Amino acid sequence: MTEISQQAEPPVKSLFESDLRTRRRNAAETRFRLYGMAAVAMGIFALIFLLVSVLGNGVSSFRQTSIELQVTLDEAVLDKTGSRDPEVMKKVTTIGYGKILDQALADTLAAHDIDVSALTPKQLSGMKSDEAPRRLRDLVLADPSLVGQTITFHALATSRIDGFEKGRVTMESAKLDSNISVEQLEVAQAMKDKGLLSMPFNWGFFTSADASELRPEAAGVGVAMLGSLYMMLIVLVLSLPIGVAASIYLEELAPQNRWTDIIEVNIANLAAVPAIVYGILALALFINFLGLPQSAPMVGGLVLTLMTLPTIIIATRAALKAVPPSIRDAALGVGASRMQTIFHHVLPLAMPGILTGTILGLARALGESAPLLLIGMVAFVKDYPSAPPAGLMEPASALPVQVYQWTQRADPAFVERASGAIIVLLVFLVAMNATAILLRRRFERRW
Amino acid sequence: MNLMQTPVSDTTALKPRITASGVQVYYDTNHALKDVSVNILDRTTTAFIGPSGCGKSTFLRCLNRMNDTVASARVEGKILLDGQDIYDKRVDPVQLRARIGMVFQKPNPFPKSIYDNVAYGPRIHGLARNKAELDEIVETSLRRAALWNEVKDRLSAPGTGLSGGQQQRLCIARAVATGPEVLLMDEPCSALDPIATAQVEALIDELREQYSVVIVTHSMQQAARVSQKTAFFHLGNLVEYGDTQQIFTNPQDPRTESYITGRIG
Repeated sequence: MTEISQQAEPPVKSLFESDLRTRRRNAAETRFRLYGMAAVAMGIFALIFLLVSVLGNGVSSFRQTSIELQVTLDEAVLDKTGSRDPEVMKKVTTIGYGKILDQALADTLAAHDIDVSALTPKQLSGMKSDEAPRRLRDLVLADPSLVGQTITFHALATSRIDGFEKGRVTMESAKLDSNISVEQLEVAQAMKDKGLLSMPFNWGFFTSADASELRPEAAGVGVAMLGSLYMMLIVLVLSLPIGVAASIYLEELAPQNRWTDIIEVNIANLAAVPAIVYGILALALFINFLGLPQSAPMVGGLVLTLMTLPTIIIATRAALKAVPPSIRDAALGVGASRMQTIFHHVLPLAMPGILTGTILGLARALGESAPLLLIGMVAFVKDYPSAPPAGLMEPASALPVQVYQWTQRADPAFVERASGAIIVLLVFLVAMNATAILLRRRFERRW
Repeated sequence: MNLMQTPVSDTTALKPRITASGVQVYYDTNHALKDVSVNILDRTTTAFIGPSGCGKSTFLRCLNRMNDTVASARVEGKILLDGQDIYDKRVDPVQLRARIGMVFQKPNPFPKSIYDNVAYGPRIHGLARNKAELDEIVETSLRRAALWNEVKDRLSAPGTGLSGGQQQRLCIARAVATGPEVLLMDEPCSALDPIATAQVEALIDELREQYSVVIVTHSMQQAARVSQKTAFFHLGNLVEYGDTQQIFTNPQDPRTESYITGRIG
């Protein structure tokens, strides 16, 4: 007895000192915590870097420099017959309006005692954008009664002067630039001092179509936004019903056998297929085989639908699975048919999940550019497509493709435009994701 | 618990409502229910007791063809409701389930209002011609489930907001609303506290006046309290079926005796 009690005497342990094993476990936990924090910090850093670079480059595209001019709309040039009939006045091209603007520019500068003797007439004319005469012509054709009057007109400045205002162009860079001269910048500086240059909000960025290499100041994302909108409508109208119907069938009605297993695995695989592959599929199927037009939102919408379907099906099936089986039992137990069970009980409960999945799928489709490149949506599109349904078959652009296109151009002014388009795209994506979160919050139910 | 308190009633005069003969159930290759034959009497509470996995719930779910929703389940044998085979090809399980209501183990009200929970069955079966009739069905059902007084002022409140016992009574009201002839209850009190259990048991006793009630329970005391007939299942076999009093006081089979005395299960 005594031997046993001596052996069994345990060493006295202090609660205030942790043993080696506990210390190790605590150290492991601390390390893991640090790894996690480091990972989160990296993510936040990347996000901040992205936002700073995009906003830093792109915010300036929302303002555009223009020159305030007193323009005398000479009847002798613009409307020789005096009929004020827009059909007749259309004979005067932008060249005629350009001359009027050149005159107005020279007069305005003279009136403000700005010395332009260092500039050639071509350089003076080059201070304004090539787009300015077209806008003046549109203004006059829309309201022929302006002819004969002297109006205040804000002419777009050329992109180099715009860049000078925004700090992108300097006297040093102008020496190396064939598009702008130091003398022109000096005149621009003088105009700025006299208050002739202003930088109003750039509505044109949202309403204009793309513009050529030579006039980045006129380029906008209007057609791209409309094209993206058309495509999103097509994707929504097609992929939501098809995806939900497929999910309901697979989840609620289909027998569980090898075929449904194969289908299930392949839907998951389809979600992982690279977007460019869908582009090739669309090129072969919709354009070469079915003969649909290139660059059309219809084709873009169809390929994005194919791409979005797996996402929606997977999200919908997960949402249906999350509805507790007791609800199905309850409905079947009171004699509801399978369809009634699904449509009265299961689907409403799964709706927040389905909508969230759909919106996230749409957001992915909105930001997708690769498949659109292959179906010709990378084309330069100057005109708005008409209203649906006809407009769905007319050429349009898309936001991500527009970004891609602008980053390809040589003129640094397009970098600003591309970043501006990215901001627009990001705003749409954030808005869609916020909608998804709101829907989930709004319709989430407990049971 | 005094088992001698078993309600004494003469069941010999009652007609069988459901007649099951030679029922076999397989889940894939697993023979879950072996050759069960039993008569469920009209206006009687029948309790199914037995250890977990003995097939009592499986048999219950055969009675309103809820096993149809389990892809791997296969049912053989004959189950007659008022002389008609419920597994006949011509039988639509949807119609059958309106006549054989079911209450589940966990209270499972729809995430809708109390009113809509009860009104759902009558609505889909077209039992009410207008709003007034539907209101009446809802009120009658809730009264029958002894819930009316507690919820009459908040019929539009969500059914999921009620307490567990109230939810279960709501589920009973929902089952009663379609006017069933048989009410199946799969461990209806296992998620409830003793007070709620007592309420539901009192309710079962009242429902027996009009319906044939079949209840699966793990609690032998509950079986003794509410039922007139008891069936003891063990390992997929129906071991013994008889008057509740006889089962609990004078079991014929040694396995039944072992179970009710707590030696197996």
